[in-house]
Amino acid sequence: MAAKAPLEEEDTKPQTLLLTGILSNTYRACINTAAPSTAQNPHVTEDFRLPWLTGMELLSDTNQNKHFLPTGLQGIDALLGGGLREGQMTEIVGPSSSGKTQVCLSSATYVVDKKFGAVLYLDTSNSFSPNRISRFVNQTHPSLPKEEKERRLQMIMSNIYCQSVFDIFSLLDLLHHVESTLKHTVKLGGSKLCLLIIDSVSSLIAPIIGGKNSQGWCMMASVGVLLKKIAYEHNISVLVTNHMVGGENGTLKPALGESWKCIPHVRLLLSCCIGANHSTATVLKHTLLASGRTANFVIHN
Amino acid sequence: MEISNLPISPSLRSKLLAKGYTNLSSLSPLSPSILAQELSIQCEEAIEILRAIPHATTSKNAYTPHGIIPGAVTAWDMLSEEQMQRHISTGCNDLDTILGGGIHCKEVTEVGGVPGIGKTQLGIQLAVNVQIPVEYGGLGGKAVYIVDTEGSFMAERAYQIAEGCISDILDIFPSNSREFLSCKERLRANNFLDGIFYFRICSYTEQIAVINYLENFLTQNKDVKLVIIDSVTFHFRQDFDDLAQRTRVLGGLSLRLMKLSKTFNLAVVLLNQVTTKFTDGSFQLTLALGDSWSHSCTNRIILHWNGNERCAYIEKSPSLPSASAPYLVTGKGIRGINSNFKRARTMPS
Repeated sequence: MAAKAPLEEEDTKPQTLLLTGILSNTYRACINTAAPSTAQNPHVTEDFRLPWLTGMELLSDTNQNKHFLPTGLQGIDALLGGGLREGQMTEIVGPSSSGKTQVCLSSATYVVDKKFGAVLYLDTSNSFSPNRISRFVNQTHPSLPKEEKERRLQMIMSNIYCQSVFDIFSLLDLLHHVESTLKHTVKLGGSKLCLLIIDSVSSLIAPIIGGKNSQGWCMMASVGVLLKKIAYEHNISVLVTNHMVGGENGTLKPALGESWKCIPHVRLLLSCCIGANHSTATVLKHTLLASGRTANFVIHN
Repeated sequence: MEISNLPISPSLRSKLLAKGYTNLSSLSPLSPSILAQELSIQCEEAIEILRAIPHATTSKNAYTPHGIIPGAVTAWDMLSEEQMQRHISTGCNDLDTILGGGIHCKEVTEVGGVPGIGKTQLGIQLAVNVQIPVEYGGLGGKAVYIVDTEGSFMAERAYQIAEGCISDILDIFPSNSREFLSCKERLRANNFLDGIFYFRICSYTEQIAVINYLENFLTQNKDVKLVIIDSVTFHFRQDFDDLAQRTRVLGGLSLRLMKLSKTFNLAVVLLNQVTTKFTDGSFQLTLALGDSWSHSCTNRIILHWNGNERCAYIEKSPSLPSASAPYLVTGKGIRGINSNFKRARTMPS
């Protein structure tokens, strides 16, 4: 695993990737405006096509830019081969009060604490608790002097940005906004945005899918595509949570159905046994590692 | 960043504060015309206020989140805001302690339990307690009480609870102190009942309509600090055939309530019934409306019998550990076990 120097990230970013971003836009504009004329003039598409990347280039891009962001929860980090990968979308599913929000809050804290960059937290169920974050921060170094503690707390908490979102349209708006600002200014209050959390994405999508209207599925797909695009182009790790619904014969299954299932790169199931003081995480889907493995982790009070 | 540091004339500032604008993020999404209407001032003055904002934020605070999303707040700002917040006391000290001070504003709290455990009692108690004047450590707000066809809200009972609450306040604060004289008028049970807005709904369509209308209502009544729905379940348990549609409607409903609680800085309390669920070869009691609904509240409190004792248990919360506390339903309302005749309420600093 490549060790990371996150704040210099921008300068070392390979030129090809920057080009990719610019070119893909021009390319799209070209498709939109000049599509009818391409038949007469094949050079248009030839000139504006995306540059090829060879496997070796991709690999070096991956090694240089797509780091694992540790969640700070040892069980989960081991299970995911280091943590939440930049450029990928990780989904946490689990029944109510299984610890999904706690994993989100804890990873936000840990990632900022380890100076990987800033975190943007989109909250749909008013469950973003600054109080909880301050407790996470203070329990990691309980022995520090008071002033030092306060400074650290302010440093960490000033790099976690929270925004409430209550419907799918404002989510799409926000994501478009994030995408366009990232293209122009990549730094957020001095540090780069490295983790985007949506807790929970399912509560926004669930009210609009199903029934007779097919637009809902469309918007769900757009959210997925947009999130993955932001993740890939700007080397951001995206973390979303999803709830569980009752399936056939009383078992629980992740909500949002089969068409959402293929959108996240990694899917992690949380479950919490009553009486035990730890929770269990199971990999349901992973791009690199075998699925079906489980690990226990503890979230401290 | 507070309104009080904004470089505008003192009269405009006091108008802003009087209308309940305390921080800049609440102002930034407004257009000049709406702001002018809201404060009943000239449009030019509203523009002046809005112009003052970005200037002040860029110069004062290097961490402003402008860049990424307009209106996003850092956790640090939220923390200091949260520490200023007051909570609605439940009347029972132990329960307040495990809830971190009481029911929180800006959150949706679901309370469920078997019939007769005291859900409605707790609801009425909260509707009364939210009105305790600020001088006595309360919020000095008002309450909206939405009742289903069962109509379990009893005005007489609310009157009793209000009287109980007033007598407890008078026990704690000596009656000759200056605070008491200044708001003696407000400490009447009648006034407490005046501060409860009551809606009765007779079908789920009405329930959805009322919740949609609440946004207008709350814009006009900014001092409402608590919305109680008693119970959220009843109509949705009776009249629905298509369960998938029910899930969708409920999902939309919960998002709207979340939005109300955040934008108007108020607490939403949903009372829910219980149902039996077959898991692991036995029937167990859980709250009604299914697994998807269980995700749609911020906190969840289960009221249950523990032998002969009533207990409240925090099943779900993003910030509080699971804990349990006993409580009593007395003639005066909800009270703690230990302070059975006199509530030792501590003044929040």
